[in-house]
Amino acid sequence: MNSLVSKFSTNNIPKQDVEDNEEYSDSMWASSAGYATNGLPTFRLPSLQQPTDFLRLHTDDHADPSCRIKIKHGTTTLAFRFKGGVIVAVDSRATAGSYIASGTVEKVIRINKFLLGTMAGGAADCQYWETYLGIMCRLHELRNRERISVAAASKYLSNLVYSYKGMGLSMGTMICGWDKTGPAIFYVDSDGTRLKGDLFSVGSGSTFAYGVLDQGYHWDLSDEDAQELGRRSIYAAGHRDAFSGNTINLFHIKQDGWDFIGNYDVSKMHYDGPGNIPGAPGTGYGYEVRTNPEACVVAD
Amino acid sequence: MSIMQYNGGSVIAMKGKECVAIASDLRLGNQALTISCNHEKIFPVSDRVYYGLAGLATDVDTMRQRLRYRVNMYTIKEEREIEPETFARLTSSALYEHRFGPMFVEPVIAGLSKTPSGGVEPFIAAADLIGCLNFAKDFVVAGTASDKLYGVAEGLWEPDLEADDLFETISQTLLNAVDRDAYSGWGAIVHVITKDKVITRKLRGRMD
Amino acid sequence: MDILFGLCGKGFVILAGDTTVAHSIVKMKNDEDKIKTLGPHLAMAYSGEPGDTIQFAEYIERNLRLDQIRNVHERRPEASASWIRSSLASSLRSRRPYSVNILVGGFDISSAAIVEGQEELGGTPKLYWLDYLGTKVEVPFGAHGYGSYFALSLLDRYHDPNASVEEAMGTLKRCIDEVSKRLVVSPSKYKAKIIDKDGVRDIEIPV
Repeated sequence: MNSLVSKFSTNNIPKQDVEDNEEYSDSMWASSAGYATNGLPTFRLPSLQQPTDFLRLHTDDHADPSCRIKIKHGTTTLAFRFKGGVIVAVDSRATAGSYIASGTVEKVIRINKFLLGTMAGGAADCQYWETYLGIMCRLHELRNRERISVAAASKYLSNLVYSYKGMGLSMGTMICGWDKTGPAIFYVDSDGTRLKGDLFSVGSGSTFAYGVLDQGYHWDLSDEDAQELGRRSIYAAGHRDAFSGNTINLFHIKQDGWDFIGNYDVSKMHYDGPGNIPGAPGTGYGYEVRTNPEACVVAD
Repeated sequence: MSIMQYNGGSVIAMKGKECVAIASDLRLGNQALTISCNHEKIFPVSDRVYYGLAGLATDVDTMRQRLRYRVNMYTIKEEREIEPETFARLTSSALYEHRFGPMFVEPVIAGLSKTPSGGVEPFIAAADLIGCLNFAKDFVVAGTASDKLYGVAEGLWEPDLEADDLFETISQTLLNAVDRDAYSGWGAIVHVITKDKVITRKLRGRMD
Repeated sequence: MDILFGLCGKGFVILAGDTTVAHSIVKMKNDEDKIKTLGPHLAMAYSGEPGDTIQFAEYIERNLRLDQIRNVHERRPEASASWIRSSLASSLRSRRPYSVNILVGGFDISSAAIVEGQEELGGTPKLYWLDYLGTKVEVPFGAHGYGSYFALSLLDRYHDPNASVEEAMGTLKRCIDEVSKRLVVSPSKYKAKIIDKDGVRDIEIPV
């Protein structure tokens, strides 16, 4: 009977794997918060010939909408450099299929006082690796008695994710900050691409953001106008892209580190605008609201 | 991506006390891209029967034209206005005609039918895309936010609501449900049908 | 991939389309006019599957012409757009559907369309967005192709329904420039037509 049970049992993991798992004792999770002590994190893999194929089979929702695990997608993030520093603006929507799973996602990851990372693609991938980047940046500071440059930090992340290429990591991020060279933005993605630039937008709504951003952008923007441009561009994407929206988070990086400017509701921006602040148009951003305000008076 | 989700949009209808309400969002999309925020999906049949069509926008337009033709023929032949029950059956058979190559729409019907005593009786119905009718005693839903609408309506609806309470209930149900659906929203419209008038209001909904 | 734009202004509609005809990796032609004049105050810009586009556009053009010969009166833009839509919708469920996306621009000169206090405009500009499925929607501005992903947000920001022709052409130029800047395979040349109370005519895109 026992032999029969073991024959049909699905749980016949090779002995060796069980031993491997011993590596993750509770004490280790508590002491290093999931980041292993030997410098690089280690991950458990499904005990299969091709773990990457297994992951793809269950998460690729384009090929198979009924797959088990739906990774959260859809975002608009942007960052641009101008004479007053760096503006970072993002939306806050997370969708799983057509379901809006959250409207309050923090898509700007505060790596340290001088570095911000944006989040597009796999939420968990971005959160984990950018937090990890924060640790490495702090270690760099302690070892070298000076802050890490944006270029070095982004290169660190780029090399890291590149070492996992083909394993299903999904991230498109902008590492933004202020270092000895002044304001800097690097685009880093899970393909291993790393680009230095003045202006980037990433995510499903990025084209809509570019449409507004490119037209309003120039180097000599005032601080207020730059913040308004970032806010207006994310609104544009929130309005036109089904997978972006809810709220806008706006950051401004200056010489003395980043400032959180504010959180703005996209629908409030549509109807009322950001209110009486410098740079704002004084009315709602919405096309109908802007061009035909009297026709927009409807029941609440 | 299902063809029923290609353009997005949702419709809901609810029964009240001697009144019915029907509401829809205003989005017309092309998958994730929003094309228009002023696309109505609810149409009048008479001043006490309205219906909404959720699904593929081209078929919504085509079905509306076909149903208008059939209702007009009915009205001319019978020399009277169509009853909501009759209209529901008519819609159902019009859909079943395309059983093996369906029109990708789900109708929601709301109306007041006349009782023998001269009063009115609220009526709502919905059908699937090949015409299987569902006569509900509380509410019916259709569209990309239908699962969310069921959830919210299940919590908010109660029997024998007066017209203004029904308006509030259907409005809150629709607005809150579409806020959790990526393909619906961008404004909403509500029609409350009572025995002496139809109240139509556009709602200020989230625009993202 | 073709790009079409359309926008309404004060008393006119502008349609614009790129002029490239591509086949595989080759540009076959770079001065093709993708906007057809359908009537005294009606034009349509079309894009989509090569072959289908021209065949369908000519079918529409000839039938609307026949309609005008038969009825003398010109059909209103709404009616024309509606007929084009039903042609596309019935084609969709045929053995071989046309895959053509269309922007119909018209100027409604009927007395019902003359707005009180704005009689000098001579009617109302109308713009309809139609896709190959037969989806039809009236819009103040519209776009087809990859250009729509850049231009729609731009037009939400800059389009003015009360713009003069010069202002509207400036906005159109912004759309073209944005697409040239961001789209990987962006077309180099565009042609535009304006439709107003005086009819349909070509208009230069400012450089």
